[in-house]
Amino acid sequence: MTQVLEKIGFHEAGFEALMDSLTQPEWLAEMRRDAWAKFNRLPWPSGRDEEWMRTDIRMFNLDKYALGNGGTEAFPEGTLSEGVELSGRLVTVDSVPRVSELAPEWSKKGVLFGPLSQLVNEYPDVIRPHLMARTYDSGVDRFAALHAAFWSSGSLLYVPRNVVVNQPLHTLLALSDGSADLSHTLVILESGAEATLLAESCSLENSSGGVPGGFHCGGIEMIVGPGAHLRYVNLQDLGHGVWQFGHQKAIVHQDASLQWTVGALGSRLSKVNQHVELAGAGATSQVNGVMFTEGKQHLSYHTLQRHAAPHCRSDFLYKAALQDNSRTVWRGMIKVDPGAQKTDGYQRNDNLLLSETARADSIPGLEIEADDVRCTHGSTSGRVDEELIFYARARGFTRKEAIQMIVTGFFQQVFDRITIESVRDALGLSISRRVREYE
Amino acid sequence: MGNSCGSYQRNNQRPKRMSEFIFAINEADLADGGKSLVEVEDRLVLIFRIGEQFFCIDDVCTHDGGTLADGNHEGYEVECPRHGARFDIRTGAALCMPAFKPTQVHECQVTEGKVFVKLS
Ligand code: FES
Repeated sequence: MTQVLEKIGFHEAGFEALMDSLTQPEWLAEMRRDAWAKFNRLPWPSGRDEEWMRTDIRMFNLDKYALGNGGTEAFPEGTLSEGVELSGRLVTVDSVPRVSELAPEWSKKGVLFGPLSQLVNEYPDVIRPHLMARTYDSGVDRFAALHAAFWSSGSLLYVPRNVVVNQPLHTLLALSDGSADLSHTLVILESGAEATLLAESCSLENSSGGVPGGFHCGGIEMIVGPGAHLRYVNLQDLGHGVWQFGHQKAIVHQDASLQWTVGALGSRLSKVNQHVELAGAGATSQVNGVMFTEGKQHLSYHTLQRHAAPHCRSDFLYKAALQDNSRTVWRGMIKVDPGAQKTDGYQRNDNLLLSETARADSIPGLEIEADDVRCTHGSTSGRVDEELIFYARARGFTRKEAIQMIVTGFFQQVFDRITIESVRDALGLSISRRVREYE
Repeated sequence: MGNSCGSYQRNNQRPKRMSEFIFAINEADLADGGKSLVEVEDRLVLIFRIGEQFFCIDDVCTHDGGTLADGNHEGYEVECPRHGARFDIRTGAALCMPAFKPTQVHECQVTEGKVFVKLS
């Protein structure tokens, strides 16, 4: 197994040290060198770029971080898998694999699940056609290039044709204070396959008791083959000192379906690009986004639902509740290609402001090049209704309980769409724990 | 090319404090009529000097989060370069559309040639 033993910084010497430490096929080494060259050519994103003008990263300093060595710290069990019978489990700490398990009945059927950096050597023929091919563009910005050059460990889920994995798989990514994690996730479902992957990320507690910091620069690629069905859940609960950047893309082929649930609760600042491409007729995708922010957190999600084939359906619903001085930015785009007739596209973003100083920006957009489509979008932002609080208090609830009920009710619409009970419970509990009382 | 995403004065190698006032910049480093972008305790703030007076506000335009550091300023007013909102550097008040909420102000104190800031 490949292990990063020394802390490796994000500079020329660090890149060479990483390359020396990795066991990898030559084509992958080439891919990394190409990405590192792009990193050195590209400027940092700036406030002058439309996509970054609401997301201030001037305080981010890459030199403060290095790839960690995974240490020996204890790691938590994870919340998404509580009470769930799993078919596989993968735990990484600072990008170093600590647990990698897959039930034998699935490995016998050809399912692959484990650290990507290890499996890429054993199954290059499975991985090479997909890795950073159609679902990842290392040239899109400097963070994407850095990730493509430095990614380590990560996870692979491969499900062969017509294999239905009926129990979820679980990955837990833990980050220690001040460390960096550049994990890459690759999910490949061949035609007719089915699987559920529960992925969560968290920070390890800071021994000094402070807010855990760090740098997470991730990439997610999902290929859902014809007639395949994937449920993917991603819960981000990183420490409130962590800078998070991510490029995530799924391709859904003919008659396939993807249900993608996002829980974004942690980090100091997150800038995530989430892209779903419906590439074959009859493909469907449903995205459920739950965001809760507090303190000075800033979460910025940029979603793109691209209809590249006819008769496809996409349905994105993001809901955010914000307290204190936190801020969310949601930019959603439905893009319909010229031939994608009979498209049914929907996107919505609702925001609930729990304090005077929180701020939510919603920027929905449509770009339609076909003439027989139905695309709808909408967004709302509002404060907690004082009359509802009064009503609840008149029935014996405290103000805090009343607000918790209002917040739960606000998220109910999206919780109702999430078909995995442990995910609904984990999100509901994490949010109600965070809600504070406001006058 | 550096690996920091912004260029501003970092004061973290000088962790001097006067109670809750935190060192921001040397008085001599800021000319009369000038402004400087400074990192104070994980926060980017703008310090202005007018004569012997110093003022400090968040480097945030409340219209759409624009940075005021690149905007023009005259007298006690600074203008956001994105859509032209103006703020009073003494009170943080928004003086014209499209901003209508004040930006945060922070108290400044000058002692022995050093400007200290108390974050609000
Ligand atoms: S962002 Fe400052 S005026 Fe619009």
